[in-house]
Amino acid sequence: MNWGLWWAQIRSVIRLEMRKTFFAKRGIWVYLLALAPAALFFADSIAVAHDRDRRAELESTHPVTEKALESIEMGSTREQVEAKAGEPYAKQVYTFGRREQHEQAIYRYTDGQSDYVFIFRDNELVGRRTNELRTIPKDSLIFATVFQFFYLRLAIFFGCVGIFTNLFRGELLDKSLHFYLLAPIRREVLLVGKYLAGLIATVVIFTTSTALQLLAMGWHLSGPAMTEYLHGPGWGQIGAYLGVTALACLGYGSVFLAAGLLFRNPIVPAAVVLLWESANPFLPAALKKVSVIFYLQSMCPVVARPNDMPALAALLLSSAEATPVVWAASGLVVVTFMVLALAAWQARKLEINYSSD
Amino acid sequence: MTVQAPGAGREAPGTQTLATPPPIEESLVIFDNVSRFYGEVLGVNRVTLTIPPGITSLVGPNGSGKTTLMNLMTGLVRPTRGEIRVLGAATNDPERLFKLVGYSTQFDSFPKGLTGFDFVYSFLRLFGDSHAECEARAWKAIERVNLVEPAKRRIAGYSKGMRQRIKLAQAIAHDPRVLVLDEPLNGLDPLVRAETIALFREYAANGRHVIMSTHILHEVDMISDQVILLANGYVVAEGEISGVRSEISEQPIQVQIRCDRPSALASRAFETDHVVEVKLHVDGGGLLIKTRDADKFYRLLNHIALEGIAIESVTPADDNANSIYEYLIGGEESTK
Repeated sequence: MNWGLWWAQIRSVIRLEMRKTFFAKRGIWVYLLALAPAALFFADSIAVAHDRDRRAELESTHPVTEKALESIEMGSTREQVEAKAGEPYAKQVYTFGRREQHEQAIYRYTDGQSDYVFIFRDNELVGRRTNELRTIPKDSLIFATVFQFFYLRLAIFFGCVGIFTNLFRGELLDKSLHFYLLAPIRREVLLVGKYLAGLIATVVIFTTSTALQLLAMGWHLSGPAMTEYLHGPGWGQIGAYLGVTALACLGYGSVFLAAGLLFRNPIVPAAVVLLWESANPFLPAALKKVSVIFYLQSMCPVVARPNDMPALAALLLSSAEATPVVWAASGLVVVTFMVLALAAWQARKLEINYSSD
Repeated sequence: MTVQAPGAGREAPGTQTLATPPPIEESLVIFDNVSRFYGEVLGVNRVTLTIPPGITSLVGPNGSGKTTLMNLMTGLVRPTRGEIRVLGAATNDPERLFKLVGYSTQFDSFPKGLTGFDFVYSFLRLFGDSHAECEARAWKAIERVNLVEPAKRRIAGYSKGMRQRIKLAQAIAHDPRVLVLDEPLNGLDPLVRAETIALFREYAANGRHVIMSTHILHEVDMISDQVILLANGYVVAEGEISGVRSEISEQPIQVQIRCDRPSALASRAFETDHVVEVKLHVDGGGLLIKTRDADKFYRLLNHIALEGIAIESVTPADDNANSIYEYLIGGEESTK
């Protein structure tokens, strides 16, 4: 066992691979995929901040209390509503119907926190909607949903497909893998070096994006609200999300590194793994554990509520029975080692025959 | 006693003193009944070879198995059957093998974005040596192929000849005892070609192996100590060029003779049963004789000389790779 030499070789492989993984033109889409949710959260945050300012301004010109608005009962007339809540900041009145004319009116109020919409038909209150100003719990739920539905299952998943399958398969296609295989380095050591290079790249890209998303999510919060969040569940959730992101790269990275060695076309195994991961909620308990998403979802700090989502998405999010975080992390590491062992076995058998690749 | 140190890949041969000499197989490249099939397609079949130090050329038409033989030797492909040892190292032991072997392949592709220096240096680092040591070795190798000036430019902008040379630099950078080269002279201009051949000769002169494939037969003659002729995945002849030639007893030997009375010599030659053809030179100053028995013919020439025919020169006309190649393979496929 020559650990010193192997470690030096692993560092050399990482140095060589870093350039390719971070600065490859064909990897630009990975950055876009990673940064897309951060951009969306920033846009959303700006919109929320703008909405908060708008409500505050309207509240100052059309002051009304929450109590007054909550006291309005269905069936009330427009006059009764105006008597309780005053003049709305926006009012629409129109008629419709061909044979029989009806009058419909929409009144909008805000108490500075929530938007209230009252719908009248023929001067009778028939509907009301309340749109609360975004709160931290609501933001957390939105983040959890995007994180579990889009970020873990699609962005990190396909980002790992792009980076890890190329570590071997890309070089077979470029006809440059033989340079590694002609060096005095064991195939297993080469595999570990390449895997760590891919892992560093994906962890840097995706945890940075996770951090940016969290930052963007909290952009619209006031200073006190942010302090309250951080002193509450905030730091724990941030740490958990960053950890889950890194573990996702660890797990999916091993799967797609092996796929790049075992399959000529990485799209096929990627589709199969995606199908397998998506089918996870329907699998028997034993099989559920042979997947990456099972462990990742168990470690997410906020449970996305399937009730708030479309049926198909809710199905994908309905996780198996909760697994303790320690077990989930250990399970993921075990799965990763098993897959890497398979990849190492394949790497030992690897031959250079570019014409067939 | 001064002998080669087994496994001392980056020691200059002949510089280490050992108490006992290493086994002879640790100075040879050995193929023992090696076959390789790609599915149902034959790569090489039943190859048994022993390659001593010196320059060995693998000669054969496209698809004859030259590259497969080199890839087998360097572990890039595995034999379906048989065993290969390179100076005693197994081809599935990269840590030992590639301290002994440098291989410049035919693939004209490189890791993306690297300069010539980065390329040589980066792969040297895989040997586990320090930055300073690898940097020094990289520059030394680059100097040996005369590529210092463009070494800091990206390989993507190199000419074909420069790419060949940077591959060669990478193959020799760790000072291997066995240098395997697939068509190493392709794309080189005459001056660089001569320099590269000189480098191969220098390597061989130090008791190392230079095993190269080529289809340019006059270079085989010029460079090689040994030749291995391949056709359709089989080794059809191996050894020193002259030795290979003499093994082909069923083929007549051609001899060029310059003399004052070629017609008289021709008639004397036809009196024997081993001379099969005579061609007089158009200038009337000599003739070409084909004989099945070189020994008998040279004894006859001695008699003829004593009979008064003035013989200026006697030159074997076909003791070169080209004619051997034609005898053995020429009927099947010509070279490029």
